[in-house]
Amino acid sequence: MLKKILKYLVTFFLGFCFLLPFLIMVLSSFKVTTYAALDPLFWLPTDPSWSNFAYLFRNDNFLRWIFNSIVVTVIPVFSQMFFAAILGYIFARKQFVGREIIFWTFMAVIMIPSQLLIIPKFIMFSKFQWINEYQSLIVPELWAIMGVFLVRQFMQGIPMELEEAARMDGANDFQVFRRIYMPLAFPSVATVGTFAFVSNWNDLFQPLIYMTNEKMFPITVGLASTLNKEGNFGIEMAGATISFIPTFLIFLFFQKYFTEGIQLSGLK
Amino acid sequence: MDKVIEKNTKVPLLHEQKVKAPLLKRIKDEWKKNALVYIILIPILIHFLIFQVFPFVYSFFLTFLHYRIIGTSEFVGLQNWKQLFQDEIAWKSIWNTILFSFYYIVPTMAIGLILALVIKSGIRFTKFFKGIFFLPVVTSFVVVAGIWEWLFSGTESGFINYLLSFLGIDTQLFLSDSSQALIVLAGLSIFKVSGSTMIYYFAGLQSIPKDMYEAAKIDGASAFKQFWMITFPLLKPIHFYVLIITTIGSFQIFDSAFLLTNGGPNFSTSTIVYYLYTIGFTNLNFSYAAVLSYVLFVIILIVSLIQRKYFGNDQSIY
Repeated sequence: MLKKILKYLVTFFLGFCFLLPFLIMVLSSFKVTTYAALDPLFWLPTDPSWSNFAYLFRNDNFLRWIFNSIVVTVIPVFSQMFFAAILGYIFARKQFVGREIIFWTFMAVIMIPSQLLIIPKFIMFSKFQWINEYQSLIVPELWAIMGVFLVRQFMQGIPMELEEAARMDGANDFQVFRRIYMPLAFPSVATVGTFAFVSNWNDLFQPLIYMTNEKMFPITVGLASTLNKEGNFGIEMAGATISFIPTFLIFLFFQKYFTEGIQLSGLK
Repeated sequence: MDKVIEKNTKVPLLHEQKVKAPLLKRIKDEWKKNALVYIILIPILIHFLIFQVFPFVYSFFLTFLHYRIIGTSEFVGLQNWKQLFQDEIAWKSIWNTILFSFYYIVPTMAIGLILALVIKSGIRFTKFFKGIFFLPVVTSFVVVAGIWEWLFSGTESGFINYLLSFLGIDTQLFLSDSSQALIVLAGLSIFKVSGSTMIYYFAGLQSIPKDMYEAAKIDGASAFKQFWMITFPLLKPIHFYVLIITTIGSFQIFDSAFLLTNGGPNFSTSTIVYYLYTIGFTNLNFSYAAVLSYVLFVIILIVSLIQRKYFGNDQSIY
C-alpha cells in the first residue's frame, strides 16, 4: 500500500514538473502586468484579462504570421503524406531496376544535417527569387525520406495475398495502392502527417534564413522577434499560447500516431 | 553443348531482329507494368537532385571559393579551411557543443528511462501521463524558450531563484553567467527531449519477457536488484540507439542559443550551428560558413557510421 502511494506521489510530482511551465505560460497570458517579471508568482489566476490577446490581434503582423505558418505547414503535410504513401508502396512492393540503390541512397542522405544544405540553398533560392516567398519553405519539404522509410516498413508487413486477390479481380497498380495498401497502412501515413505538421509548424532555422521581410515570417520567427522586442511577458506568453494551440490540438487528437510513430521510425 | 550448337546454327540477321523486337516490347511491357513507378519516381529523383544532392556538392565546392554575393567569386584553395585552424571562436564553439552534449545526453537518457519506468509501473492514467511527458517534444523551441527565459531570469524575482531561496541558495545569474548559461540551455533541451527518449525506453521495456522478473522474484531479488540485473542490461540496444540520436541532436543545437543568449555571454553558448549562422548570415561569409557546416557534417557522419556499424542498414531494431 505504502509502495503504491509512493508510486503515485512520484508520478504526480513528475507530471506536475512537466506541466508547470505550460501552466505558467497559459495563466500568465491572461495577466496584464508590465511589472510581471518582478513577482515570481504573478501568474496565479487572479484578475484574468483578455487584453494581451486583444493586443496581439490588433497587430496586423500577428494574424499574418499565423496565416504564413498555416500555408507553409498544411501544404507540406498533405504532400508528404501522399508521397510517403505512394513511395512507400513503390519501394515495398514494386519490382524495378535500381530499387534498392535508389532507396538506400535516399536513406544515406538522412545523415546529412539540414544545416549543411542551408547555405547553398540560400544562394540557390536567391537565384530563383524565392527569398521571402512561400516556395522556399514549401517546395523542399514536399516529400521527406523518413516518412517514406516509415510507410515502406509498415507496408512490407502487409500480406501479399491481399494484393494477389485484388490483381485477380483485375485491379491495376494505382487501384491496389488505393484500395489495399493505403487503407491498411493508414496509421503509418497519419504518423508521417503528424510529424510533418509539428516539424514544419515549429521550424525556426529555415524561415529565419529564407524570410527576411516581417510580413513573410511564420509564427515561430515572428514570436522570436517579439520575444526580443516586447519586454512584456504577458504578451509574449499570449503569443506563445496561440502558437502552441494548433500543435496541442493535433497532439491531443493524434497522440497515438506520435508515440507509435516515434518507435517505428526514429523520427525526432 | 546443345546450346552452343543452337547458337551457331542461327542466322545472324535473324538473331538481330529477334533481339530488337523484344527490346521495344520489353520497354512497352515494363512501362505497362511499372508506369506508376516512373510517373512518381522521376519527378522525385529530380527533386532529390535539386534540393539534396546539388546543395550537398555545391557547399563542398563553396569551401574552396571566396564567394561574393555581388560580383564574381574567386577560387582560393584551402584558405577557408586554414582559417578554421586559426579561428579561436570556432574551436570554442566546437568545444561548447561538446560540453553541451556532456550536460545534455546522460540526463536526457536517465530521465527518459525514469519516465518510462513510471509509466510502466502499472499506475492508472498511463495515457494521460505519457501525453504530459511527451508534450514538450511537440512544442516549439520558441515557446519553451520564452517560458525558460522567464523561469531562469537571473534576478531575485526569477522563478527558479525564488524556489532556490527556500533552500537557502543565493540568487544565481543563470543566462547572464558564462559558466551557467550553457547548463541552462542544456536543461531546456532535456525538458524538451526526455519525452521522446521515454517512448523508446517504453518500447524497450515492453519487449523484456515477463518470466525473467518472475524467476528473479522466486530467487528473492529486490526491485532495485531486478532493475540493475535485468532491466538495465537488457535495454542495451535501446541505450545505444538513444545515445546515438541524442548525440546527433545535441550537435545540431541552435534554437535555444539563438533565442536566449545570442551565443553569449562571452561566447560561452556559441555552438557550431550558432556560429555557422552568424558567420553565414550576419557576416555574410558563405564560404567560411560552408567550412563550418562541413565540420558539423563530419562529426555527425562519424556518429552515424558508428550506428551503422552496430545495426547495419536495418534501422528497425525496435
